[in-house]
Amino acid sequence: MRLTLRALISHGRVARRIGLGPESRINILRNILTGLVRHERIETTRARADEVRFYAEKLIDYAKKGDTNEKSMKMADFWLTEKDLIPKLFKVLAVRFENQRDGCTRMARIPNRENLDRASMAVLEYKGNPFPPLFPMKRVSELNLLNQLLKAYREEKAQMNVKLHRF
Amino acid sequence: MLHVKLNGHKTPHIMSLSGLLPFLGRSLQRLELRLAQAAGFDSFYPALAVSGPQILPQSHHSNNEENSEPSFLDSIFWMAAPKKRRTIEVNRCRRRNPNKLIKVKHNIELCPECGNMKLKHTLCGFCFEKVRKETAMIRKQISIMEGGPLNAPAVESVVLYENENPSEADKDKRIIERNRKRPYWFNM
Repeated sequence: MRLTLRALISHGRVARRIGLGPESRINILRNILTGLVRHERIETTRARADEVRFYAEKLIDYAKKGDTNEKSMKMADFWLTEKDLIPKLFKVLAVRFENQRDGCTRMARIPNRENLDRASMAVLEYKGNPFPPLFPMKRVSELNLLNQLLKAYREEKAQMNVKLHRF
Repeated sequence: MLHVKLNGHKTPHIMSLSGLLPFLGRSLQRLELRLAQAAGFDSFYPALAVSGPQILPQSHHSNNEENSEPSFLDSIFWMAAPKKRRTIEVNRCRRRNPNKLIKVKHNIELCPECGNMKLKHTLCGFCFEKVRKETAMIRKQISIMEGGPLNAPAVESVVLYENENPSEADKDKRIIERNRKRPYWFNM
């Protein structure tokens, strides 16, 4: 709803401002994306990770079209500043996510940076990377007190039901 | 009758806008006088008139004096200053109202793995540190295997620990070996 002066008040604007300007923002995100394709798991500030996520998934979408595609090759050439990652993108990452429509990346928040700036950080990774998982597997142990009590309760209830059915 | 001209405004004073306009007016008048004197035209009354009392040109300046003094002094009174001392009650109200106090966090919980405290929407710092250190060791091994920079291979990788053999699915992959037994939190 345009109720106020367009230039001065930024209610409802969703575009993030990173770096020194739009060109600087693209350059910063390009560097982060190159690092992500090389290392498959990186830690940056939360805002940057959120921005790069969109570009990372779009790059995979372009790579899925195949490396003979003119547009895909141009995109990969622009976005990856280190050119030894272009074959990796087309042969490893595109193949890995062949059958998935979306959801190639995972972003998780981590505690604030230890520096003076205490910046809010996030870790961004491509799914299926060879590194240890960020989220530990949930293991349900039967030896907890609570689980033992519940087990005993279920057994008693089963016994009661058997007794009732007899009569 | 001598009229002593008080010209004691050698102190610098702040030029407010409303003080600036009379100043400009006065400076223009002074310029005019100086030009007239240079031309030989000393006085501004008719040439054949008798020179009357000396008040006439000097009352010009005395008016200027009276106008400039109040405007100089008034300009100090136009700056903001507190009128009264803020009492300790008012100070306490301002310093202790909730928007200045540090907010209590209600989103702290315990990590089920290690028992340290963590924020709800964030990864546990201790568990993530473990994962980070192991990732760094794996990356060191990768850099040794690759040799130099910009040598990323176009194949998948898999990490194998001591006494582990590559399985069927790991046939075409690059194998990264680590010289320790598999950590219990890395089951893949």
